[in-house]
Amino acid sequence: MPLLPDVLVGHQTAGICGTAAFSTLGPGGLGKRVDAMNPRELPPLQLENLHLAQGHRTVLEHVDGDIKPHAITALIGANGAGKSTLIQAIMGELRPVNGKVTCRVPSERRAWLPQQLALDLTFPMSVEELVMTGSWPSHGALKGYCAAHYRKGRDIMARLGISHLAHRPLGELSGGQRQRALIGRTLMQEAELLLLDEPFANVDSDTVDILIRILRQMADDGTTIIVVLHDMDHLQRLADEVLMLNGGHARWMAPAALTQQQAPAQAVPFTLGGHHAGIA
Amino acid sequence: MLELLNAWFVAPFDYGFMRRAVVGGLALSLAAPPLGVFLVLRGMSLIGDAMAHAILPGVAIGFLLAGFSLPVMSIGGVMFGLMVALLAGAVSKMGGQREDAAMASFFIISLAAGVMLISVGGSSVDLTHVLFGSILAVNSTALALIAGISTLIVVILAVIFRALVVECLDPLFLRGQSRRNGWVHSVFLGLLVLNLTAGFQTLGTLMAVGLMMLPATAARFWSKRLEGLMGIAVVLAMTASTGGLLLSFHLDIPSGPSIILLAGAGYFFSALFGRYHSLAARLRRKTAPLSAETSM
Repeated sequence: MPLLPDVLVGHQTAGICGTAAFSTLGPGGLGKRVDAMNPRELPPLQLENLHLAQGHRTVLEHVDGDIKPHAITALIGANGAGKSTLIQAIMGELRPVNGKVTCRVPSERRAWLPQQLALDLTFPMSVEELVMTGSWPSHGALKGYCAAHYRKGRDIMARLGISHLAHRPLGELSGGQRQRALIGRTLMQEAELLLLDEPFANVDSDTVDILIRILRQMADDGTTIIVVLHDMDHLQRLADEVLMLNGGHARWMAPAALTQQQAPAQAVPFTLGGHHAGIA
Repeated sequence: MLELLNAWFVAPFDYGFMRRAVVGGLALSLAAPPLGVFLVLRGMSLIGDAMAHAILPGVAIGFLLAGFSLPVMSIGGVMFGLMVALLAGAVSKMGGQREDAAMASFFIISLAAGVMLISVGGSSVDLTHVLFGSILAVNSTALALIAGISTLIVVILAVIFRALVVECLDPLFLRGQSRRNGWVHSVFLGLLVLNLTAGFQTLGTLMAVGLMMLPATAARFWSKRLEGLMGIAVVLAMTASTGGLLLSFHLDIPSGPSIILLAGAGYFFSALFGRYHSLAARLRRKTAPLSAETSM
């Protein structure tokens, strides 16, 4: 497969594939999206007086707030507190009973990484093929991949440390390797809004380190990330903002507020006092 | 020796009906197995069976209206099959039941309705014909229809291939991209119905599923890659349909069952001697040393 010279990647890609999305591709992976760096832009995601129900059971009420752009927002709460319900609403899978979700990110730039169990990983597909499917939404169903796509895919796999697994079937991967491959797909997608549901469950600590570093890079490069977390340690290392769901209500706070009340590392404290940071 | 080969493999095709039958069989063998591979991968293997029964009332109504006219019976079959698929989908959404439960209910109703309709309007010979097919009675109109449908299926499958793969692996990823992507599943079910209607003339409504599922399940023992699965399944289906026809010609046995039984023999052979997960593979399995792992 012919490699394109570095300098030409941007124009060449746009010429071959006609996708502007690749014009920022640099040798290290994704470049910064210029349009995403404007500090006065509207929040990518706004929740207004949101009322969500599963069937007849109200799960969440009066959820308000703007998700900060280019930041990592952690979503925490006990089992059944409504984390998945909220994510469904954000992805447009669930219609709110009341209130609204305003999402300014076009749907092909939204990525959603479900818990690992939700995927059929016996499907005969290699790691590289999985990563490449990330380009599918912006690339369309018919066009073939061109050299620059494969290059980008290989860059992403190298960043995630899974280059040596490129041709391995998904079914033969460990939990951590699989999670890296799935994150690779969202990198390929160049997502501007990324939702992750417990990405560190069943994952080794090396992978956690790499993923935390990469998620942080993605946020710095302009991706808005919402992540469901259970582990206080991961939360401290990753989150810029915290949205805690408890008893049908949501409460914004700063990660620091959680540390001050540091309970045993794995339990999330639900009895926090009033000093949480609201978001304007 | 040459004479024997000639007598077995070439001479039968001097007959026009055998030539038409083999071409029809090969066309079906090209279109059906890839659909079967997707069904197996999605854990929907039995849906094919259900759909095969679902088209029966439509075929029966076509038969009552126009006799043994493949186009009319096919149109009836397609319409009824799609209706059942849509109804099953609607009922499962409405009642929170799983789609396979709704499908199971509908297909058994359809089977009974179809058998009833044909028995009322025709003879038991007609019933056997519809249920088990008669590949040796394929005329040129039927052949053109089978070839046309098979071509259409292969083309559409190529167009939606990538979407279908993504949908199998992670439906939420696909739906997350766009609301409109729900059509992939519907188009797939539509192709399934089309393929079954093309197959019933030659193999019968009950046997048409065989050419779709057996090569696909057998291929699982030979490949771990999607392209491999489809290629092997198509080759198996082509071998089975041609071989089955020849067997049926020489031994004077019904063509549909002999094609499917040959495919079934292929399945058992694969289960015993295939490369992956077969009995033989289990017996000869040795753990590879780490050095082999890293050099891959």
